[in-house]
Amino acid sequence: MEPVAADLTGAGPTSRASHLLLVLPATLFVLVVFALPVAWLLSRSVSDPAWGLDNFRTVLREPVYLGLMRNTVQISVATTVLCVLLGYPVAHVMATCPRLTRLLTFVVLVPFWSSVLVRTFAWMVLLQNNGLINRALLGSGLVRQPIEMIFNRTGVLIGMVQVLLPFVIFPLYGSIRAIDPALMPAAACMGATPARAFLRVQLPLTIPGLTTGATLVFVLSLGYFVTPALLGGRRDVVIARMIQMEIGQFGDWGVAAALSLVLLVATLSLLGFSRLLVRRGRPT
Amino acid sequence: MPGALRHTARTTRRAVLRGAGAMAAGMAIPSLIIPGVALPGTARAEQKFAGQRLTYCAWGGAYQDGQKKAYCDPFAAATGLTIDQDGPADYAKIRLMVGSGQVVWDVVDVGSAFLYSATPQNMFEKLDFGVIDKSRIDPRYVTEHGVGDIVYSYNLAYSTTAFPGDKHPSTWADMWDIKSFPGKRMLNANAASTLEAALLADGVPPAKLYPLDVPRALKKLDQIKDDILYWETNSQSQQMLVSGAATMGLINNGRVYDSVRKGAGLALSWDLAIQAVDYLVIPRGSKNVAAAMALIDYVTHPEPQAMFANLMVFSPTNPDAFRLIDPKLTPWLATNPAYAERSVLLDNDYWRDNLDPVTKQWNQWRLT
Repeated sequence: MEPVAADLTGAGPTSRASHLLLVLPATLFVLVVFALPVAWLLSRSVSDPAWGLDNFRTVLREPVYLGLMRNTVQISVATTVLCVLLGYPVAHVMATCPRLTRLLTFVVLVPFWSSVLVRTFAWMVLLQNNGLINRALLGSGLVRQPIEMIFNRTGVLIGMVQVLLPFVIFPLYGSIRAIDPALMPAAACMGATPARAFLRVQLPLTIPGLTTGATLVFVLSLGYFVTPALLGGRRDVVIARMIQMEIGQFGDWGVAAALSLVLLVATLSLLGFSRLLVRRGRPT
Repeated sequence: MPGALRHTARTTRRAVLRGAGAMAAGMAIPSLIIPGVALPGTARAEQKFAGQRLTYCAWGGAYQDGQKKAYCDPFAAATGLTIDQDGPADYAKIRLMVGSGQVVWDVVDVGSAFLYSATPQNMFEKLDFGVIDKSRIDPRYVTEHGVGDIVYSYNLAYSTTAFPGDKHPSTWADMWDIKSFPGKRMLNANAASTLEAALLADGVPPAKLYPLDVPRALKKLDQIKDDILYWETNSQSQQMLVSGAATMGLINNGRVYDSVRKGAGLALSWDLAIQAVDYLVIPRGSKNVAAAMALIDYVTHPEPQAMFANLMVFSPTNPDAFRLIDPKLTPWLATNPAYAERSVLLDNDYWRDNLDPVTKQWNQWRLT
């Protein structure tokens, strides 16, 4: 990601000005319809119902909010890790076997064509104790008790990973495609085993795509609440659901804004930290 | 009824076509709006609102179509008012509208949870009971700011596949009897109704249910903690029970009716069913208050209520409506007088004052 950006911006002052002009409409649009409302909402964390830090005191003192934050982060981290582990091989095959690229793109994109609710109800049909998967397993004698795959954390992760996989696959696909195809054979020529060639050559070169994808998945996971609500169990309540309730049910904009701000700060620091790790781990 | 879930509402055209009584009820409205023949109770309202417009907001889908047909269309025809439809009735939107003074919804169908949390925040116009004749409505379903238009209930329902024959669960206490009635049970993911069911199961007499003894309810729930599935949406509750993911549980009466009509093996207990009400309210700052009050008054009549009951199988708040409702549907209706003695009404005042702290306790319990 960075090298490309550096190439584009290093082209002299005139083109820099014209670049600015090109991004101006989108920037203005985002500023007006996104940044200003968000700033308005977040400012209510210190102004609603009265000026001060009371809302933050409530949020940090009430154990239930911290519990919900912990849940949210756990679910998001697990979703991100699973997406990366499952998505990398798919992206690799898509990038290296041109015959399969179109088919895989189609398969990966299918979830986007159905609504979250439809998809989630489909999972209920498949995953529940007397659903298709468990009936097949029981019928074939592979298991004696149905496996609990829904209305618990497993169900949440299955549902979220399926929806979010494309966000890690496509950036990775781009990264892998951009690698000079001669590099891996060259590494082999120099005596590297495939595993070593992957770890020392391909993986480092795909770190930018990987970071982009993982960041997207992580950030999107933090805001998901329909999937955890429908596929999760008693404990799988997430902070986004609470924020929605604070506004819709209780009309407590102040606490909702404080929760959003705490979540935002936590997210940004986590992301900053992971960037730091990636940068440190990158070979020079 | 909570939120966005009514979208998958029932199509009960078949139910209506089944009974001649229902047909008669359906026909009753058009016959009342022949020019020159006044609507009941609106004798001098003839074309009173010609040229005016208001926006009616409910929950979209078949539910709102039914209310348009039963409430809005006859009233519009009789008074010359133009009624626009909008939905779903997103509560955060109502708060924003009232807060900013840009109120574009004039009459909104809201759940009791919203009525009780938003009334102290001054979200609604105070109703003018000089215009709205509240004597037609059971007084338990009227507040200063909202007139109940439909009643539904949280009942105990069970799968007749899991429990065929006579030995089936019939009281809330049976939900806690895992030995006699095995299988997962389901409860509402929201505290309201679930805590009530736990306390009733624990033997709290209905008259002493409120104020809720929350710690006692949670202790009762501890006993079956790992056997409970929680539903967030009404369609999810229906799916859980029909598919057998749960063998019994707390569910809206209408959802069971809908499943049974589609051939599912479910049955319903009416013992201590917990009633909840949807209210018509006028967001504060509406620019069409007079027409909005008149529309709400119209909905208190038996005819629109019966028509909506026949279409959607939600129970009327005007007891007179029952004479116009298909007798095949009345066993499914929460306000059926036969169930009155063994029913409980969700307490608006209690939930208005305690929604926030109880929800926190409830979520804390869920996390541990």
